[in-house]
Amino acid sequence: MSSSDSSSSYADDPSPNPFDNQFKSLKLEQGSDSTIIQKDDAIAQEEGEHESLSENSNNHQETSHDQDDRIDGGDVTSVVWRRTNSEVEVDGPSSPSSSGYAGERGSSGASDDDDIHEVANDGGIDGVFDSQAAWLPGKRHVNEDDASISWRKRKKHFFMLSHSGKPIYSRYGDEHKLAGFSATLQAIISFVENGGDRIKLVRAGKHQVVFLVKGPIYLVCISCTEEPYESLKGQLELIYGQMILILTKSVNRCFEKNPKFDMTPLLGGTDVVFSSLIHSLSWNPATFLHAYTCLPLAYATRQAAGAILQDVADSGVLFAILMCKHKVVSLVGAQKASLHPDDMLLLSNFIMSSESFRTSESFSPICLPRYNPMAFLYAYVHYLEVDTYLMLLTTSSGAFYHLKDCRIRIEMVLLKSNVLSEVQRSMLDGGIHVEDLPGDPFPRSGSVSPRLGQHQQPTDSPERFREPSVGIGGPAGLWHFIYRSIYLDQYISSEFSAPINSPGQQKRLYRAYQKLYVSMHDNGNEPHKTQFRRDENYVLLCWVTPDFELYAAFDPLADKGLAIKTCNRVCQWVKDVENEIFLLGASPFSW
Amino acid sequence: MGMASANSGGSEGMELCIFDLRRGQQEGQELDKILFFFPADLPFSTQLSVIGLSEGLITFTRIFSPEAACEVIEAERHSHVFYEAEPDIWMVMVVEKSKEAEAIWRVEALREVLKEIHSLFMMFYGPVREMLEKDPSGGQIRAHLYPFVMDYLSACQKRSPLDYCCWDFLVGKKIQLPSFRDCLKECGTVQMLTVGREAAIEVQSLVRVLESGAGATHCYSLILFQDLLVSTTLSPDDTINLFAYAVQRLSPRALSSGVSSWSYLRRGSTPSHVVVGPTFATVSVSDQFHQLHATSPSQDNSYHVKRPLQHNRWSKGKDGFLVTDIWGTETGSLIPSTPTIWLQQTGERMYLCAYQYKSLTLILLVPLSSILNGEQGVSLVKQQVLENASLKILKVEEKLSKGWGGENAYHVSGYRYLLIDDDRNVSRASPPAKVTTLAKESLLAMSKLREEVDLEKSRSKWDNADRDKDLEICIRAKNNAWVIARTTRGKELYMVLERANETLLYASDAFERFSDRYCGGAFSLD
Repeated sequence: MSSSDSSSSYADDPSPNPFDNQFKSLKLEQGSDSTIIQKDDAIAQEEGEHESLSENSNNHQETSHDQDDRIDGGDVTSVVWRRTNSEVEVDGPSSPSSSGYAGERGSSGASDDDDIHEVANDGGIDGVFDSQAAWLPGKRHVNEDDASISWRKRKKHFFMLSHSGKPIYSRYGDEHKLAGFSATLQAIISFVENGGDRIKLVRAGKHQVVFLVKGPIYLVCISCTEEPYESLKGQLELIYGQMILILTKSVNRCFEKNPKFDMTPLLGGTDVVFSSLIHSLSWNPATFLHAYTCLPLAYATRQAAGAILQDVADSGVLFAILMCKHKVVSLVGAQKASLHPDDMLLLSNFIMSSESFRTSESFSPICLPRYNPMAFLYAYVHYLEVDTYLMLLTTSSGAFYHLKDCRIRIEMVLLKSNVLSEVQRSMLDGGIHVEDLPGDPFPRSGSVSPRLGQHQQPTDSPERFREPSVGIGGPAGLWHFIYRSIYLDQYISSEFSAPINSPGQQKRLYRAYQKLYVSMHDNGNEPHKTQFRRDENYVLLCWVTPDFELYAAFDPLADKGLAIKTCNRVCQWVKDVENEIFLLGASPFSW
Repeated sequence: MGMASANSGGSEGMELCIFDLRRGQQEGQELDKILFFFPADLPFSTQLSVIGLSEGLITFTRIFSPEAACEVIEAERHSHVFYEAEPDIWMVMVVEKSKEAEAIWRVEALREVLKEIHSLFMMFYGPVREMLEKDPSGGQIRAHLYPFVMDYLSACQKRSPLDYCCWDFLVGKKIQLPSFRDCLKECGTVQMLTVGREAAIEVQSLVRVLESGAGATHCYSLILFQDLLVSTTLSPDDTINLFAYAVQRLSPRALSSGVSSWSYLRRGSTPSHVVVGPTFATVSVSDQFHQLHATSPSQDNSYHVKRPLQHNRWSKGKDGFLVTDIWGTETGSLIPSTPTIWLQQTGERMYLCAYQYKSLTLILLVPLSSILNGEQGVSLVKQQVLENASLKILKVEEKLSKGWGGENAYHVSGYRYLLIDDDRNVSRASPPAKVTTLAKESLLAMSKLREEVDLEKSRSKWDNADRDKDLEICIRAKNNAWVIARTTRGKELYMVLERANETLLYASDAFERFSDRYCGGAFSLD
């Protein structure tokens, strides 16, 4: 945390982040912007060559730069470093490897899994969507541009552009071909800005155009997905956050120097990170709940994991996080350091979407936008099992070997105390099932805790989708619920069971929850207390108290009285098993 | 530039423009697009920037949504509400979101205002496009639109306490648009009088007599008791327009200027004598003309513009028929000309004869084509009405008066509600005086809920035109009020329950009881 002493003022920075001035990397200030730009051009050319490389371009040996220089040079060079889509294989007595969320599955790897349907189907969500099962990372439809009918009919576009109208990112289509379109978006925003106002939303039929201005970066979403404005705006915030995680907000300085600065090379190869984030915007409740979820584990198991993480945290690690896919096994923060759930989401998305992290231990500069958007931290990442990975975050760029030692210690303890095998088992068992809700007059299962020993695939993970579940729904027509603990900043979502079987149905329910969330929460004002909502698809019940929020979905024909009783039982049930489903006590938050 | 200066220009937080996208496409000719702009004294550059943004976004949104272009722009400080009144003829209202919390709008309610302005304009003058085709210079349409919209916006001192409709907005120079406090009203609907069986039969027979009065030709009639509709033989759209006009300018309450009832208005302190009306409008009109003349040379300033929305221009004649000089006098006589309107459905032009007896207002529409000798013919029709219907009119008035429960007739104790029948364009609501007793939080929550339902409705409109959204939302708001919305089979019921029990079941029961008792069980689940 040594660099946190330095301070400087970033007058251009409109973000009210309280850390802005107290935590600023010294290196950042020393970084030479002109270097960035010069290197940019060089790298941009280099990238052109890379594009012609085949899938294994991520294994391309990094030779053009001296590694030590890169690390010591701080963020500026590391930006360049990453842009090269290259990394060093770690073998034997290893040296730090670059992160590389290499472009191996990047822009050229177009794969159509979803959007033919999207174009064809205007009706429901069924069969329309990026199915969790079939979803492949990376950018699609690169050959489209704003003149293509198919492009215009995509259900949800995301754009990032600079204040001079230069494209930075587009979900669909080649950014360079979208320069004209990008300029139009810029013109709209600045026209309104010139009138002393700021445009937020345009609505036209089923379409919404949502604008978000972040200093010199403009973000736009064009969607006909029926998601509320507040949700889409939140999604743009996350996409911006993901960009900050990769580059830090110091990228603003490039625009100060040169308003026409072209940012695309800086983000070269990161398509896969953004497309994976955008995908999770339609299945991961963390994206709108602003909470994280834990892998269900016996209390003692999680305690054991927490203890060893705490051990290393005391030795100068800022955050130590053990995760399995998007679920937290345990996490620990240094004193007074707090980790925002959104940062966890963005970080785990970054790690999981970048194939190269899986193949080697990595040491990568990352920025946690809610923690400090101006400075890089350094993340040591290592996969312990196929989906289980350890992240050790530090402020020091030279800590690789120390963190490696930490990891070895942690890994040993985790193996010894069977934590890793418990994690595997929990993944196989899945989480909490509505069928198991106790107190049912006709109990189907006596167990309160998540099922053990019944080998099922978890259903709410993005990559894997199991066969239609054995589930038949819970009592009183309960189909699904999400419980969010407000103090813990954690949520638990039940496994999907019949009849919410297909990915399309799951996505529809996800969107219904999202709408319900927005309807209950009024822009930072105190939320409403209860909501009952019935439409042709569901009965939804929402209950907000100072301690928790419950979102439950029932059969649309469910009886109101029984549904309410069932919700009460769900809350009781969650409290009974909170030791297993939540991370307690060892909270990283500093209240 | 732009909106910033617009606000300092004394527009009081509101701009309203009407423009034609087919005009002024050449550079330098952009001003030609503008058919109406309020406030008229804004510099043209500002007017053009408002219209430029609107046009830009209409074009832009069509890339993705060719079937429905821009409907609303929400910016931090302003909302821009769009309405395509006729193909390529757009109305855009820009309202300022001021810091004071009163400026919270429901976009659909604002759009209803635009719709009503246009429908009424059509009723008196026919389509905008037609007038533009007759006079491509645009002078005629501008000369008509300006006083018309200004009269629409200008305040009326005779605001009826039963006025559910959003009508007169220019209160003491401050335009009062329907805000969240009007969330239990529905503009663009009519309010009906509940009539017993016996009275209904009497009304029926009166209608028959009335409409046969003009001989063989097909007439239409509209009967009001107080400000409530009793009977209509017009199409739904024409009924809405004429009803709106009648309530605001013809009903007994509208005529008796002295009896001003402001009690329920949002601000108790609003002065009841407001600077209104003709002078203000006239001055501005000439201003606008002056400005337009300066830019478009080929103008003829001798348009005869009638101003049917002007205040205090109707009165009751000795024979019981309402008279006005708005339509001028017949050439060579002092007898005021009978007003005429266009029917939207049939495109026919009709004479409008209004007769009033106590609380009863009868409007008879006679086709122009059926009366060959002008005013003479009309007075003949009137005479026949008096001869044939006088007795029945007395009888009906008496029956309706007896059954009339007074201003709070439709109050249901403990409930604040709005019931809308979309198929019939009818609404009924708690009396405004009762709605004002609700806490601000409750009204805000209801307004927001209605916005949500509006969105669902418009989505299902695009998804599947013939399927009505079946939706039930019941919210326990932060102030512990229950805010409920239910839509089913073309009907909507909104309800606020304050001081109600905290359980959801209690609120649901209260809702069901209301539905069973007052809505024929239309919203009940079984």
